[in-house]
Amino acid sequence: MSKVLSGKDALSSARKEQKRSYWMLVLPAVVIYLSVMAFPTVFSIVLSMTSYNGGKIFGGRIPVEFVGFKWYKRLFVDEYFYLALKNNMWIVLVSVLGQIPLGFFLAYVLYRGLVKLTDFFQTMIYLPCVISTVVIGILWKSFFSPHGAFPEIVRLFKPSYEYGVSNHPILPVLFVILWMYTGTYLIIFMANLQKIDSAVIEAARIDGASEGQSLRYIILPALSGVIVTSCILAISGSLKSFDLIYVMTGGGPANQTSVLSVYMFDKAFKGAPNYPLANAISTVMVTISFILIGLTKWAESKFGGRE
Amino acid sequence: MTGMKKISILALALLLVVSTAFAQGTKEDSAAAGQVELTVLNYIDMSEPNSANEVAMIWDKFSAENPDIKVVREDLFNEPFHQKTEAYVASGQLPDVLYMWPSGRSTSLHTTGSVKDLMPFLEKDGLVDSYNPATLAPQYAGYLGELPNGITTTHMLYVNKKVLRENGLEMPKSYAAMKAMVKPLKAKGIDLIAMDNMDAWVMQSCLFSMVVGRYGGVDWFERVENKEASFTDSWFLDSLKLIDDMYASEMIKRNSLTSPYGSSRGRFAAGKAAFYIDGDWSAGAFQTDITTGQALISKEAQANDFEMIVMPALPGEVISNSNSGVIGTGFGMSANLPSGSAKEEAAWRLIKFLQGEYVQTYRLTTGASFPSNLNVDVDKVVKEANLEPFVAKRAAYYANYNTITPVVDGVLPADVNNVVNTGLQEIGLGKKTPVQVAQAVQKAWNEWESNK
Repeated sequence: MSKVLSGKDALSSARKEQKRSYWMLVLPAVVIYLSVMAFPTVFSIVLSMTSYNGGKIFGGRIPVEFVGFKWYKRLFVDEYFYLALKNNMWIVLVSVLGQIPLGFFLAYVLYRGLVKLTDFFQTMIYLPCVISTVVIGILWKSFFSPHGAFPEIVRLFKPSYEYGVSNHPILPVLFVILWMYTGTYLIIFMANLQKIDSAVIEAARIDGASEGQSLRYIILPALSGVIVTSCILAISGSLKSFDLIYVMTGGGPANQTSVLSVYMFDKAFKGAPNYPLANAISTVMVTISFILIGLTKWAESKFGGRE
Repeated sequence: MTGMKKISILALALLLVVSTAFAQGTKEDSAAAGQVELTVLNYIDMSEPNSANEVAMIWDKFSAENPDIKVVREDLFNEPFHQKTEAYVASGQLPDVLYMWPSGRSTSLHTTGSVKDLMPFLEKDGLVDSYNPATLAPQYAGYLGELPNGITTTHMLYVNKKVLRENGLEMPKSYAAMKAMVKPLKAKGIDLIAMDNMDAWVMQSCLFSMVVGRYGGVDWFERVENKEASFTDSWFLDSLKLIDDMYASEMIKRNSLTSPYGSSRGRFAAGKAAFYIDGDWSAGAFQTDITTGQALISKEAQANDFEMIVMPALPGEVISNSNSGVIGTGFGMSANLPSGSAKEEAAWRLIKFLQGEYVQTYRLTTGASFPSNLNVDVDKVVKEANLEPFVAKRAAYYANYNTITPVVDGVLPADVNNVVNTGLQEIGLGKKTPVQVAQAVQKAWNEWESNK
């Protein structure tokens, strides 16, 4: 009897120990997640529906009031919100339809050994990813300035050229984004291409498959999951893009190169700080991000997923 | 295992205690040394060659003279400075002493009552008469939030007389005469006016505010406040149309909208433009860097080839020869400092020093600011210290205009001013007409009034 009891005790003690270990291992991550991810997100949504404008939330000089969707209504009638959103969509397009295909193309060319000096090219294409964004921003800002290198280069071919402000000031920014981040996708695709068994490709080539057929029926299906992951990375990265644009143009002139994150930053810290409006913008950004990622997942389930 | 666990917990606890002790180290060190520690947010104009020397000439001198005060300083410039200030205001955790504007980008410091009224401190020390009375006028929130370094005129038209001479041109007496210079200068690859309009505030502060004053008169803002005038009236519309005309006629090139602030100074000094527009604070940027001996404009050239004036007569202006001006920048004291505390006393000692005779004389010699402290004898300093010609020319420039009108961002609420700033850039880009911008400004003003 006493043996049975001690067995039960031992079992109970082991379960307690297991539970304690479980909480000891999980709790730090849960606490960190709740404090730095979940709480700020929920708190940001709450703030976006208040009149909070700096200082103490409780017991401050101006009492904080609940104002409902006032800031969301204001946001959706602001022309500069749509301008920033449009620029964000351009960046998403350049990322998804520019960086990823280009990154894949370059990775494929290097992987299949279609050019010599593969290591050199791989390093050069990836190089922008290891340079500070601020340095890159300053470099390109001076390159595209009215008296910078770009107008000088064009004048070599057209001496009468005068650098003007184009109708699309976002174009130089999109170019730099394409140049800067393509290397990231190159590395991702290179790593995944190397996982594909080369014997399968060789077998297909022996069976008479062309380079295009090998790509279409072997390589692309094998990489569909990576392509979707890259799309998610590109979309979420595009929506939060801030540093490069902030350094290169600051969103100007006249907000023509602004994106949602710069627009949000300006509302929070420039001129007349409006923290609830800035929080409303961040909530909209998260929502748009979820929608676009959802669309990507849907597209993957519909057209891909043969990995 | 239990033993190991105990040791691990003990080690963690020890680590925590040690880290806390190190984290508190600085304050404890100061306290142990009998020092009062002051946190300061300072503004250093990195576009000016002598700014960095202020660390040794001003801050180190204060520390040497006040060994009982330990200054923990944070130096920032331009946008990062303003954004950091807003973050401090939002958190309610302000540095003890901070650089600020009397309105404009420091509006939130004033409206949230984040800084103390400095007038009682001046009165207590009998220093009110030591300052130019105009500089002690109530600021945005109706009290003296910062002790200003002077009166700032936000429009200064620098002239490269050598460029004019070499091209057979004379100092312009009117807007039309200036506009007529575009063609002959363009033929030689020279711009008429160099200006850096990438930052939206530059056009509004350094040119548009003066233009609004010329068309709207000295009291334009009071009339708007009293609903006797609106932004869609001719005075404001004509001001916007003038800016539109300056861009359209290439008096100011549209590509200046992609030019970062301060970047055209070198081109102007090198004769690539006949005129340069900036605020009076930029004069020091052309003077000699004390540490390197290098200058954008040499002393000889300063004397013979350059001039500082205001924009000549504008077509249809209601007042002539006016300039836009505002109370200068200075240092404020956090409202969080307990009254009568040692920190408050130390903070006031620092502010007094920073706007005292020594610092204002030094900043006069480097061209950084023109003094508000009446104990600084400008004429005497200019003569005795054998200063660069630009200092004397700057003193003469202040006697060059006869009226001061408000600076737009000094009087308009930030919500409305943002619309003006953006609108001026949109006119430059050709994205909006002056009428559209005027309507947008009036709409923003109406919204601000209804939310007041």
